[in-house]
Amino acid sequence: MLAFILRRIASLIPVLAVALLVTFAAIHALPGDPVQVMLSDHSADKEMAARLRAEYGLDRPLPAQFVAYLGEIASGRFGLSFRYVHQPVADVLRDGLAISPLLAVAALAMALLIGIPAGVYAAIRRNRWQDTLLILLLVAGLSIPNFAVATFLVYALSVKLAALPVAGWGTWRQAILPVLVLAIPAGAYLARLTRTFMLEVLGQDFIRTARAKGLGPRLVIWRHAFRNTLLPLATSAGVIFGGLLSHTVVVETIFNIPGLGRLAIDSIFARDYPVAMAVVLLFVLFYAGINLLVDLFYLVIDPRVREGMGA
Amino acid sequence: MKFATIRMLAGAMLMLALAMPIANAKIFRVNVVGDPAQMDPITLSEIVAGRILRNVYEGFTATTEDGRNAPALALSWEPLATGPGFRFHLRPGVKFHSGRPFGAKDVKYTMEELLRPGAKGGLGASHLGSITGAKAFKDGAAPTIEGIKIVDDLTIDIAFTKQDVLFPIYPIFFMDSGIVAELGADWMAKASAGTGPYKFRQWRRGVSVDLDANPTYWGGAPKIEGVSFLIVPNGDTALSQYDAGELDFVDVYAGSIRRVLRDDRYAKDLIRVPRAQAVYMGMNQNLYAPFKDIKVREAVSLSIDRQAMIRGLYGNAAFMLNGAVTPGMPGETIGLPAPKFDPARAKALLAEAGFPDGKGLPPIDIASTEASKDELTYYADQLKRVLGMPVSVKVVERATFIRGMNAGEVAFFPWGWTMDYPDAATYLQDMWYSTSPYNRPRWKNIEYDALIDAALITADDSKRFALYHKAEKILVDDFGMVPLPITASVGLRKPNVRNVTLTPFGFSTFDRIEID
Repeated sequence: MLAFILRRIASLIPVLAVALLVTFAAIHALPGDPVQVMLSDHSADKEMAARLRAEYGLDRPLPAQFVAYLGEIASGRFGLSFRYVHQPVADVLRDGLAISPLLAVAALAMALLIGIPAGVYAAIRRNRWQDTLLILLLVAGLSIPNFAVATFLVYALSVKLAALPVAGWGTWRQAILPVLVLAIPAGAYLARLTRTFMLEVLGQDFIRTARAKGLGPRLVIWRHAFRNTLLPLATSAGVIFGGLLSHTVVVETIFNIPGLGRLAIDSIFARDYPVAMAVVLLFVLFYAGINLLVDLFYLVIDPRVREGMGA
Repeated sequence: MKFATIRMLAGAMLMLALAMPIANAKIFRVNVVGDPAQMDPITLSEIVAGRILRNVYEGFTATTEDGRNAPALALSWEPLATGPGFRFHLRPGVKFHSGRPFGAKDVKYTMEELLRPGAKGGLGASHLGSITGAKAFKDGAAPTIEGIKIVDDLTIDIAFTKQDVLFPIYPIFFMDSGIVAELGADWMAKASAGTGPYKFRQWRRGVSVDLDANPTYWGGAPKIEGVSFLIVPNGDTALSQYDAGELDFVDVYAGSIRRVLRDDRYAKDLIRVPRAQAVYMGMNQNLYAPFKDIKVREAVSLSIDRQAMIRGLYGNAAFMLNGAVTPGMPGETIGLPAPKFDPARAKALLAEAGFPDGKGLPPIDIASTEASKDELTYYADQLKRVLGMPVSVKVVERATFIRGMNAGEVAFFPWGWTMDYPDAATYLQDMWYSTSPYNRPRWKNIEYDALIDAALITADDSKRFALYHKAEKILVDDFGMVPLPITASVGLRKPNVRNVTLTPFGFSTFDRIEID
């Protein structure tokens, strides 16, 4: 098991190295001198320009800058922010670091809690009116873009009814709408998947056997049928989590949440490339981490994977 | 069982959510576009931090709502008998947020911190260059700044290498010299070291910067409990928060201004003032020979329909600029005539200059940054239609463009200069004095330079302003400065909030705000 994890972590290194090189190269290929932007209206102050250039290491050749940047990553500082002059990127990121994953986890939890029971229920009531109604809802949940849902919910619940805050971060109430907006399409997608997987399993022989031997419907559905949908569901949940993480960029911008997603957008618009680079790297790490978790989850739920590992 | 647990959990979450308190006491809540880049007056170098810190820190003087410079931490000052410089008499009885008294030692300390070798002195440092011994101290060659002498607790002499009559109004915020000893080098994360009406409570990155009222403020304790600067990068989000009562005042960002001006709901809350940013059409005579002829420069000015731009391009969120100094700035010339739009006269002038219908004019680029693309297109089109001038639009990346302008390498460009300190010299000296690096069109007039030289050693405001007016007339009459419309600062204020507004220089100070 440990060897498996280590192997997976080792396989991340080339991915990260490529991500690092590409972002570094892309950023340095862009036109514009960050020091001039930092100086703004004091752009003719040569003394301050030289001081900033030295502080940011921008007076060194590109390969030397890359090596220095690697050192900065290793030390966890990620270099200095262009926008927040003199401040290490790590300080800019620190407070927002947990927010995007937290939002994604909360949304995934909500999506699972709503989507799976809904999917199972639709499968049991296949082709009846409950199923049709659910499918209609799912299509709506999947196809209305989340910024439209967000705008509608903010208008209805916050501006008109004043039931929930419009935006911001720090209280429970402020988290409800963003999590909901993230969870709606994810929940709809999960419900549709669950329904499909369940229908497939419910048609199989061992279910008929279970029913024939007199097991109650609850046991048949949850212990026998549902358990067999867990593996494909886990794979999908990993993919969905990745999607949720990238959707936080939109949701954090709309609800003004100081997470990595909003920071990514802000830093790109402000041309704060060191911060943008760090966010990209962290997102790569998050995705890789999720994939690792999903793989580990297979080990737990599927004996076949466990046995196959020794080979 | 599973469902029961889920139901219970969901129920508990909902109860928790609804039980949270909604409104809090008298806190003035206003949006800012991003986190401040720093929270100390030494490294201060950008606009968000400036907006926050001017409620926390104070200088010798402060700008009033009607654009005058009034004494703040200095009660009065007089020229030094020994040479260029000032003796400042400081306000007695002023206490820092720490409770320590403010005095001459803190003025000296702040200036040394700004110039300390290897330190990161921000914009404040750029105003100290004329102090005797500033350079030696900055280079590490002297242990103190020679020109700064403490006379007694509340009197300090500052000597200059050359007279600098604007020194008392430069935005330099004084800080508590005892703060580092008390709280350590990272004191700014824990407390504020100023004398202002509000003191630092907390900075939640990406969320808000919160200030508490300073009950011992020398100008009288604020009538509200505190101020919250909510960090809201998106203009539409800020408006929704204002609609929902989560903001008491919204600073409307450029992208949302049209929406606000068109919506009748906002009309009664609306505040609209011209920004203190002088916008002009730069014409470099060294790079494009026809610009040497004043008739060509005047023709360019006459071809631009500024009123149409204000209506069409800016949706009425802009103002006419008549001269080189923005409205409300101390030292502006009152009653300058607005620049005219007269295509027929423009054509005639160009013909007189030897370029009938633009014939014989070499091709030229009108250049600026992405943000001014619409304006560029308008100017190029207008100059082609009215004058037959062969103008093409060129959009340049911002930093490259600024470097080019500073080097005097851009021939034809619309650009703006934002005020640095509240005196007309912020434009007349920085933008148009012949040797200023920010004289980007490289306009040059000996008589003008002489008037500015004279003004900058004239401490008396009305005499100095008279010199400014003469100089500005030369500049405008020569079509050196061809003014263009200036955009508006737009804000919305809830009806229950009083004594706070937008001024050309940003927000008014928050010390007298009342919330009903």
